[in-house]
Amino acid sequence: MQASRARLFKEYKEVQREKTADPDIQLACDDSNIFKWTALIKGPSETPYEGGVFQLAFAVPEQYPLQPPQVRFLTKIFHPNVHFKTGEICLDILKNAWSPAWTLQSVCRAIIALMAHPEPDSPLNCDSGNLLRSGDIRGFQSMAKMYTRLAAMPKKG
Amino acid sequence: MADSIATSSAPASLPRDLTKKKRTNKKLKQSKLDVRREQWLSQVKNKGCKVDSNGKDESHSSSMRIANVQNGSLDNLEIRSRGEENEGSSIHDSDLESLMNSPIGITLDHNDSSKGLTGSSSSITSSGCCSGNISEEEEDDGCVDDWEAVADALYADDNQHKPIAESPAEPETRVESDNLEVPNHNPGVDLSKTESGKVVPESRVNCRAWRPDDACRPQSLPTLSKQHSFPMKSCGRGAITWTWQRLSSQPSSCPICYEDLDVTDSSFLPCSCGFHLCLFCHKRILEADGRCPGCRKQYDQINVNMCFNERVAPFQLSRSCSMSTRF
Repeated sequence: MQASRARLFKEYKEVQREKTADPDIQLACDDSNIFKWTALIKGPSETPYEGGVFQLAFAVPEQYPLQPPQVRFLTKIFHPNVHFKTGEICLDILKNAWSPAWTLQSVCRAIIALMAHPEPDSPLNCDSGNLLRSGDIRGFQSMAKMYTRLAAMPKKG
Repeated sequence: MADSIATSSAPASLPRDLTKKKRTNKKLKQSKLDVRREQWLSQVKNKGCKVDSNGKDESHSSSMRIANVQNGSLDNLEIRSRGEENEGSSIHDSDLESLMNSPIGITLDHNDSSKGLTGSSSSITSSGCCSGNISEEEEDDGCVDDWEAVADALYADDNQHKPIAESPAEPETRVESDNLEVPNHNPGVDLSKTESGKVVPESRVNCRAWRPDDACRPQSLPTLSKQHSFPMKSCGRGAITWTWQRLSSQPSSCPICYEDLDVTDSSFLPCSCGFHLCLFCHKRILEADGRCPGCRKQYDQINVNMCFNERVAPFQLSRSCSMSTRF
């Protein structure tokens, strides 16, 4: 409990100090609860998510960093490894491959990497996974782009 | 050497009845120990060659090398005799009978059967000297020998995995680590410290090779390894690396808890991947999934050295038992 709190506080200070270090990631801690974090990540370029800003919600367990944080997308995203309704993310480092050496910041980076390199073989979004697995790259990209425009971009006008 | 053993075993058919009880108890032990002894022997032999070629060997240690060689011949002899007689206990007899000729026969025999190589080295020397006091001194040597053998075998083992990068800094720190070692011998030292000793052999081993010429060595180290059981001994080692690292490494923070690493922590390398973390976090990880945060391998698999040390531990413990029975 104390250890996780101390570590999160250190991470918080780190984030404050290096706010400009990674322009694609904005991490923020809940004002009243250091175990709740939110992040805004930019969709990686040359992907259907380009131009979108996606919000992530972190729920940090008390055993952190020995246990991984629970992360989910608050913004809708069409991605084979993200559950379309709950925003749950299928990512090995958030499950069995978690290492205490990871930070919330590095988790964000891993999620950006996952957006650029989907793994259709372990899909949480079957529609998306099937499109990719059947080789319909164009279909997948147009769907993903549409949802990025609908959910992850500021409304115009 | 083989001759002396042959002659000593010849007139010793008398005490055979005396030893029969012991033998039955020790048969199981003996069979295990034979295997270990052979493994040990090969390591010790390798080490002997290596140290000699390094030229670090000086008068004190070279005598111990000789003792090792003697052991070698003894062991070979034993193995041969087993082959001839097809009976595990017969080995023990010849061993033991040579000991019966010496004044401290039984205690030494106990040593011998329970701790293998080192014991047999002391038995040889004691049967030569026929004096309790002197043979006790020889015990000391045997003990040091033992200690060194472990260290050098570890060194050899470790060298297979990675080359030593830090050896150049060693000579200056050597003396100081000796002096600073003493306060760390107190039994209250955190056990987790022992791990640093086990896992960071590269600095320690070089210290070890220097040991024999050091003036303070006979007082501190041999008695330490004798009186304390194994974990304490490795505390001493930890102290060596501890002081050594303090002079050579830069402080940083633990990647897990982000707390600053103190000197003990920064010398603590529990994994061969070189991932640094503090002792608290290491303990917490061991209580959880036990995987190295750096490479995600199990800590247990990686700590081959630790396994090796644990194999040594029973020898050390049994030695201290036999010591207590003698005094």
